[in-house]
Amino acid sequence: MFSRIDSRSPTPIYAQIADRIRVAVASGELRAGDSLPSVRALATRLRVNPATIAQAYRELEREKLVEMRQGAGTFVAELGADTRAHEREAAARRLVREMLTEAARLGLAPADLRAALTHELPETQ
Amino acid sequence: MTDAIRIRDLTWRAGKEFALRDLSMTVPTGAIYGFLGPNGSGKTTTIRLMLGMLAPEHGTIDVLGHAMPKFAHRALAKIGYVPEVVHLYSRLTVDEAMRFHKAFFATFDDAEADRLRRRFGLREDQRIGALSKGESGKLMMLLALSQRAELLVLDEPTDGLDPVIRREVLSALVEYVDVHQATVFISSHLVHEQERICDWVGVMDGGRMVAELPMQEFRSGIKRLRVLNAPPTRDAMPFSVLSRDEISLHHEDWVVRGWQPEMREWFQRSGAELREIQDLDLEDSFVELLRGARGVTTEAR
Repeated sequence: MFSRIDSRSPTPIYAQIADRIRVAVASGELRAGDSLPSVRALATRLRVNPATIAQAYRELEREKLVEMRQGAGTFVAELGADTRAHEREAAARRLVREMLTEAARLGLAPADLRAALTHELPETQ
Repeated sequence: MTDAIRIRDLTWRAGKEFALRDLSMTVPTGAIYGFLGPNGSGKTTTIRLMLGMLAPEHGTIDVLGHAMPKFAHRALAKIGYVPEVVHLYSRLTVDEAMRFHKAFFATFDDAEADRLRRRFGLREDQRIGALSKGESGKLMMLLALSQRAELLVLDEPTDGLDPVIRREVLSALVEYVDVHQATVFISSHLVHEQERICDWVGVMDGGRMVAELPMQEFRSGIKRLRVLNAPPTRDAMPFSVLSRDEISLHHEDWVVRGWQPEMREWFQRSGAELREIQDLDLEDSFVELLRGARGVTTEAR
């Protein structure tokens, strides 16, 4: 889940980590009650500042996606179907925004993007 | 005590060629402070002054609440130091080096040293002289971490190590920081490594501190702007311009420091157009900052 944390990306590392978890929650890869790695374990694994991991977890806690239980760890919260749907939508929008920024840099027009997207998406859509 | 390291108006000279000038530095307790600068910018000299190995001509240095170099003996008992060059006796074995080091530090933790030795894959009977560069690097880090130091001062701790060993060493460091809430001062020119673990950055160039600020501010405040019909550089700009490069007849790339989104308007008022705002990663920011500090700007006509 955390394999592509990129320190060169303009997105701060804590935001990248929080995004990964949001997507995992939205897709059902993480379910209510699942525990997240401890701050220490994840910091050691990714070799990032422990404060950065804690910042990501606190942000998710504010959004009520996870619960931090004193001494026990951090757990995925019970989420309604609409929260999950909302997270999926938000994740999709983030992805598209990134794509648009990159496209603008390359000088691609919206029509080019729309054509490419239609081409790449499976027929059933 | 709020700052682990506090240096004020430090001046130090070695002949005519090299000097540290009016250097001030603040490392908050609990920070992981990345000390960046090109080779020869004065990083190692600053560290030697910080540890009481050199005496300043002018200015004050406080480390863990002790004035240096006068109270170096008190501060050094609480500092784990990994120098740039390995300074261990080559005839000792790993085990002997551990016991030798322990003799100097009352807080040395045998169990921790042994745990790290296994984790790093070092054998007790290996001779220092026969260790590879990576193994020596791991041993140096092992010794510093086993001291249970409040402050770790690491001078290029991963320079020349292969990526696998760098990861092992950095993982152990991050774990240590979380367990002991220690302060880390880490000097390096491996910028991307710093980017992941540091929450403060100090940048040195030519014996001066060019910038010192929290990592997030450092990264978010420096941008590359693509400007159409760029106005000349003036004193009353809301940001500071580190460099300007002419891209085409009407376009210029500016690298600015202290950028805030609401500064867009300034360009409109100046009859220019801001076409694009690009984020820079730490390495680019670092390079641009040095360019700016050295005054290497290509001015528009």
